[in-house]
Amino acid sequence: MEKNHITELLPDYLDSLLTETQNQEVESHLADCNSCSIELKELESIIEVIKNESRIVPSESLRSNFYKQLELEKQNSSKTIALDTAYKQKKHSWTNNLLKIAASVILLVGVYFFGKQQQVERSNEEIAKLTDQSQAFKQTAVLSLMGNQSASKRIQGVTFIEEFAEPDEAIVSALKDRMLHDENTNVRRTAVEVLSTFITSETVKNSFINALKTEKDPGIQITIIQILGKIQEKKAAASMQYLLEQEDTQPYVKDELESVLPNII
Amino acid sequence: MYEPTDEKLMLQASNGNLDNLKILFERHHMHVFNFLNKMCGDKMLSEDITQEVFYKLMKYRASYNNGKFVSWLFTIARNTLNTHFRRAANNHEDIEALDQKHITIDEPKTDYSDLHVALQKLDVSDRELIILNRFQEIKYAELAEIVGSTPGAVKTKVSRALQKLKTIYFQNT
Repeated sequence: MEKNHITELLPDYLDSLLTETQNQEVESHLADCNSCSIELKELESIIEVIKNESRIVPSESLRSNFYKQLELEKQNSSKTIALDTAYKQKKHSWTNNLLKIAASVILLVGVYFFGKQQQVERSNEEIAKLTDQSQAFKQTAVLSLMGNQSASKRIQGVTFIEEFAEPDEAIVSALKDRMLHDENTNVRRTAVEVLSTFITSETVKNSFINALKTEKDPGIQITIIQILGKIQEKKAAASMQYLLEQEDTQPYVKDELESVLPNII
Repeated sequence: MYEPTDEKLMLQASNGNLDNLKILFERHHMHVFNFLNKMCGDKMLSEDITQEVFYKLMKYRASYNNGKFVSWLFTIARNTLNTHFRRAANNHEDIEALDQKHITIDEPKTDYSDLHVALQKLDVSDRELIILNRFQEIKYAELAEIVGSTPGAVKTKVSRALQKLKTIYFQNT
């Protein structure tokens, strides 16, 4: 058994890897043990053989291939490093910043015009609403004025209508009502004068023709005759003829009718 | 002149100094190549695998764990060789089958040394230990790391493997 122990120590003994005590142990054993001495000699020779075994040199392509792989790897990794740091930050931040600035300018301008557009639209809407409102206010004011007890207020209401470019049905019919039925001559006259500005309307013409039959005030009669005569309204001829035949019609009204009628017919 | 250790060079390489791998290649490629050549007896295959080993060294440089460089290098070499034989063995040969294979190949050839032939007759594990320890002069501690054992066990194994080798060698000559 002791020999086995020694055998395992022999390689290290040859390599001088043993401690001083182990060395002495081996040496004393070797002096006594012949087989171990042979063992040692054989071991020495095989190690010598191993040492003398020639090393083969691989072909040059091994090195050149590895160097190529290494260069490729260096390029790849340097590329990624470069992208991560300086190159990317410098070059890209420059264009990035420019793009950011451009984007903010566009955004700013866009928002400005959008806001402006919105404002214009809104103010237009507001103006339209206000005009509508003021129109409505005026109408109610006019209508209430025309229904007023005071004749002067009614005249005021009637004259107000002149401000309307396009008065609606309610106004026109109220005006007609004033012209035909108002007890005050001045109100009726003002209504006739105001209505004459809307003479193109068919209802206004018809109301003039009706007024010709009912109106007793010669002044108003003459005004209506002149208005109808100016537009040469043929439908008014019958009413005019009727007025001409009435006994209570003033002579100067009849004169006016006689001068106008031939033009109409 | 001060020579940086393999470990220092490899650590720097793993941190991006790839040129260090050239120094490591120059220092070790002969050892790796000769280890592989003694293991498989095929020069062309050994070159290919050596190439692969250093390629892996470069590719997986980040996984270097500051251990002994030589242990790491030969662990890669050993695993690459094993993987190769596992893959090449379409007849499900284990790496152990190398033994028989090389005996049959070796006989007619004369350019192999007696020692080489004797080595091929050893078990793969014994052959590996002798080549690494006696040819590549890898210390027991690192050798234990490579083969996944303890230095003491490796020391005993190497000693026994040497005995086997010399028996085979002296029988033949």
